[in-house]
Amino acid sequence: MRKVVIVGVGMTKFGRRVEGLMQLLSEASLAAMDDAGIGDKPLDAVYVSNMAGGILNHQTALGSSLVDRLSLLPAAAETVENGPASGSSAIKNAYFSIASGAYDLVMVTGGEKMGDVPGFVATDAVATMSHPEAEYPLGITLPSLAAMFTKLYMERYGITSDQLAMVALKNHLNGLKNPYSHIRGDFILEGVLHCPEAIVNNPYIAEPLRLYDCCPVSDGAASVILCAEEKAKEFTTVPVTIAGFGQATDHQTVHEREDPTDLKAVTLAAKKALDMAKLTPKDIDVAELHDAFTILEIAQSEHVGFFKKGEGGKAVEAGLTQIGGKIPINPSGGLKSRGHPVGATGVAQVVELVWQLRGQAGERQVKNASKGFSLNFGGFGNNVIAFVLKKGA
Amino acid sequence: MQDKITGFRCKKCKKIHYPYHDRCIKCKGREFEEVDMGSECELVTFTELTALPTGFDQRVLNLGVVEFPAKVRATAQLIGENFRIGQKLRAKWGLTREVDGEEFYGIQCFPVEKR
Repeated sequence: MRKVVIVGVGMTKFGRRVEGLMQLLSEASLAAMDDAGIGDKPLDAVYVSNMAGGILNHQTALGSSLVDRLSLLPAAAETVENGPASGSSAIKNAYFSIASGAYDLVMVTGGEKMGDVPGFVATDAVATMSHPEAEYPLGITLPSLAAMFTKLYMERYGITSDQLAMVALKNHLNGLKNPYSHIRGDFILEGVLHCPEAIVNNPYIAEPLRLYDCCPVSDGAASVILCAEEKAKEFTTVPVTIAGFGQATDHQTVHEREDPTDLKAVTLAAKKALDMAKLTPKDIDVAELHDAFTILEIAQSEHVGFFKKGEGGKAVEAGLTQIGGKIPINPSGGLKSRGHPVGATGVAQVVELVWQLRGQAGERQVKNASKGFSLNFGGFGNNVIAFVLKKGA
Repeated sequence: MQDKITGFRCKKCKKIHYPYHDRCIKCKGREFEEVDMGSECELVTFTELTALPTGFDQRVLNLGVVEFPAKVRATAQLIGENFRIGQKLRAKWGLTREVDGEEFYGIQCFPVEKR
């Protein structure tokens, strides 16, 4: 297997965008192409990650559309759909196609345009990833699955509403330093949880989860360009290597898992990625975790191995996950602040890590970061993908 | 239309599944028989959802995970209010939702005891 490096990254601002899905995909792609200095060089393949374009935007076969729009013909092109893990799945495909020797230069662009439909339609579109017989017919949504998980996690590990809110506050503070982030604001614990107006400012979405425990519904796109190590010098002086990859699955229905609070696929995917990179959680300098809900950042930080089970909430409280802390988590603002255009998220996580490892993350830069970790959480933890990135080739 | 809650027991290892799988999650067997899971169940976890998806004409939807006596769990709609973990419930199969004219059916659970 050949070494694979990332030589270009780009993304759109996340949020409510007036541009259409294809425009967003194109904007992010062009930014990555310019970052890599692609110029007129041909790409071998383009993978587009997207979850709900067919439902929300009446657009499918996005890969074919993008290569034509960007005049990248006759590059191979396809769309990758794997729920919220679509972005990392597309990067995985690019990784293996280069590592195997089939391709030399590949672009992955992920995007979603979710704000054109009413909230209940977007919520339903995302909920189509739930079990078609045992969950979707009931009205199950991702927030409802997260809420039921939270209730069990709180009971077992003593996680508090304050600790959940602290994840949100930290990520919003980080997001203020990220020009690409969707929800921008410096919120305080009293305002979202303890003042008389908190129930208005921060109403329940799925009890015990409140508005500020949930990521927003966002539009946006992100893009990375990968190539074989031996070609990297043609495109960049600051390559970032994909040093580890791991993926694992779990039962689709949470109720069938032996222990519904155990995110087995997270543990397995993280271990595979870290083992492949010959690293341990202690070696990681910066992490982008899939905080679609605040509880997930805490639970994932434990299942990856950054903290012991039951210690993740206390770690947030102690500031260990802040920029400058023991293990900075989601310096980008995470899904909570940067936003969650579903098909873009896995790609955006890697884009942030590349900026961090290059030392290009501006005010949110984690000092001396040389090893990064991303975790993209598909379904409600039934398809999880992790990457380990290292500075240099 | 069925009215009972049906589980699927592997003929080889007797593991009961809900929902149906084409291969047993324990022994990989491929033959199953339907079993009535009964109506008694206990609430494992739950939520009151206020951001509902398409297909509901109500402002709040209660959802939960319940466990039947055979130690088989299922996700269900909860009908009522003031639920608590460990509460005894009665399950039935019923109309749960209608999306674009298509009717969906699933498990609905009701309280059987006063708090």
